[in-house]
Amino acid sequence: MKIIACIKQVPDTTEVKVDPKTHTLIREGVPSILNPYDHYAVEESVRIREESGEGTVTVITMGPPQARSSLMRCLALGADEAILISDKNFAGSDTWATAYTLSVAIKKIGKFDLVFCGQQAIDGDTAQVGPELAQQLGIPQVTYVEKIELDNKNKLTIHKQTEVGYHILEATAPILLALLPPTSFQPEHPPMSSILKAKKKPFSVWDAKTLGGDISKFGLEGSFTQVIKTYTPPPRCKCEIIEGNTTESAKKLSKILLKHEALITR
Amino acid sequence: MVDYTFSEEQELFRESIKEFCASEIVPKTEKLENVRCMPKDIIKSLASFELLGLVIDPEYGGLGTDVVTAGIAAEELARADPSCAIPVLYLVETSWGHLLDKYGTEEAKKELFPKIVKGEQIIGIATTESDIGSDLANMKTKISKKGEKYVINGEKMYISAVKEAIEYGGGHVTLARMKPELGTRGMCMFYLPLKGTKGITPTYIEDIGREAISCGGFNIDNVEIPKHYLIGEENKGFYIVHEGYELARGLISLVCAGAASKALENGIAYIKERKAFGREIGKYEGIQFKLAENYVRIQALRELGYKALWTYDRELQGEASRFDVSLAIAMAKSVASKWACEAINDVMQWQGAFGYSKECEDQKAWRGVRSFTLAEGSSEIMKLIIARELLGKEFLAYR
Repeated sequence: MKIIACIKQVPDTTEVKVDPKTHTLIREGVPSILNPYDHYAVEESVRIREESGEGTVTVITMGPPQARSSLMRCLALGADEAILISDKNFAGSDTWATAYTLSVAIKKIGKFDLVFCGQQAIDGDTAQVGPELAQQLGIPQVTYVEKIELDNKNKLTIHKQTEVGYHILEATAPILLALLPPTSFQPEHPPMSSILKAKKKPFSVWDAKTLGGDISKFGLEGSFTQVIKTYTPPPRCKCEIIEGNTTESAKKLSKILLKHEALITR
Repeated sequence: MVDYTFSEEQELFRESIKEFCASEIVPKTEKLENVRCMPKDIIKSLASFELLGLVIDPEYGGLGTDVVTAGIAAEELARADPSCAIPVLYLVETSWGHLLDKYGTEEAKKELFPKIVKGEQIIGIATTESDIGSDLANMKTKISKKGEKYVINGEKMYISAVKEAIEYGGGHVTLARMKPELGTRGMCMFYLPLKGTKGITPTYIEDIGREAISCGGFNIDNVEIPKHYLIGEENKGFYIVHEGYELARGLISLVCAGAASKALENGIAYIKERKAFGREIGKYEGIQFKLAENYVRIQALRELGYKALWTYDRELQGEASRFDVSLAIAMAKSVASKWACEAINDVMQWQGAFGYSKECEDQKAWRGVRSFTLAEGSSEIMKLIIARELLGKEFLAYR
């Protein structure tokens, strides 16, 4: 199985604070991490490669030079090769331009069976790049994937999460899968031996020229959307904090609920 | 040009060990009070993350990393377990494993390391005796030759991980006199297995902190060990032992920095929330001055600790002298416990009466870090080493 895993380096949102005046994210000094959804996608890629008994996992990202550290982490998680797509021409890409850039890179890599993405990135939470990438590659896609099983004929059984349960789907390559956090395994923390091995694996950096493609479709120029402002919406209603021990709090809460007719008594 | 950056591997390792600690260590620390013996599953966790073989030669199942990387693990483990019990187990195994790796016999290394790196056996250090702490030159335990074996008699006390070695398997790197008339030039270093060894009688004591690792001692009554357990040459033990101590002291500096930086983070969160006299207490100068002073000290301690281990690495590569190592390590260790204790003490003070309660996490850190003014060489001995390196050996205080 030739697998390509697309990843993104994101600010650690558990460390991100919001400017109380502008309501925008304060990104300065916030550590960058591998998007957790992509972490799962890379681990699943490695697991599928191992189950199929052959093949490779190539991990790619579009980002600034410092995104190298997230790719190195993917190599430590067991990916075989990493490609960093980095050039100032890619700056300002929206999800469509990002998907286009990734699609050009994947076509340049050549024949593939599976493309794995995280369901979404924790900074933007759009969940758009995976589906848009499938569209631009002209391959089918399944999103909200929680579990993948591979039979001995390389047929995939995919558990897609829905609001009420699961869809169990069968698919064959080539296909793009956007993964949720898995229920079948715990994410790994690569130990030092894996990190040392990662340093010896192939790592390439592709700029716009190396990548090829239509330069007018890269970056800001190739983007159909522009982010005007990112902010935390102000609270819409007043919040009342109930104080006291458990019994007192329960009494106060029930009174409030009854007052607002939110509780039906018999 | 000074370069304060960690290597790419070290940065990745720190990121990974932080996650490992968050998922594997932190959830277990609440159950570690008054345990007095490290639970086996924690030792196995450390081993599964390859921490117990970090600096050991890959030929014997280790990874052969530099000791700065070992320092990163020490700092992060202390942030995860500020009581310092887990960090102590880790640093003892790392330091004395390293010494066995450097000076042990091929036979001993092949026999012991596969079990040590998998967490199936403990390796500790046992030099201290009841009547001698820092005064190693006057120890009483004796070792003598008997055919192809050595025979040991004596007693060791205030030793970490005795119960773990007796119950799970393993032993301690130990020092004893072979030729008393030669003083420090007549001491041998050797590996002494504890589990099931005839003639070993353990005793246990309760430390005020680090409650999840045992502390105690053992009587050694005509214990025989095979020849291949000797570490280094006969009568060179006193000089070898200091290399193990130096690595342990460097790691301790970062354990103190890790535990104190975690406490400061707890303190910062607290003083931003807690109000007194109508405003958050973090808005008072009296709190801010202490915060700033402690932050600078703990950052300085990190720098001293990593510089010390970096110097140790450079010596291993033949690029630094013993003088450089002794001075750098003693500088870091001399202030590590003091500065960390003072920082944690201030955090406890900010929390008022809660800070003095057992509910407060930071008191565990204070009790753990407090041990390091004594363990692996007292703060006073560190100052004597610094003075010795500055003034020359002719100014040794006790000769």
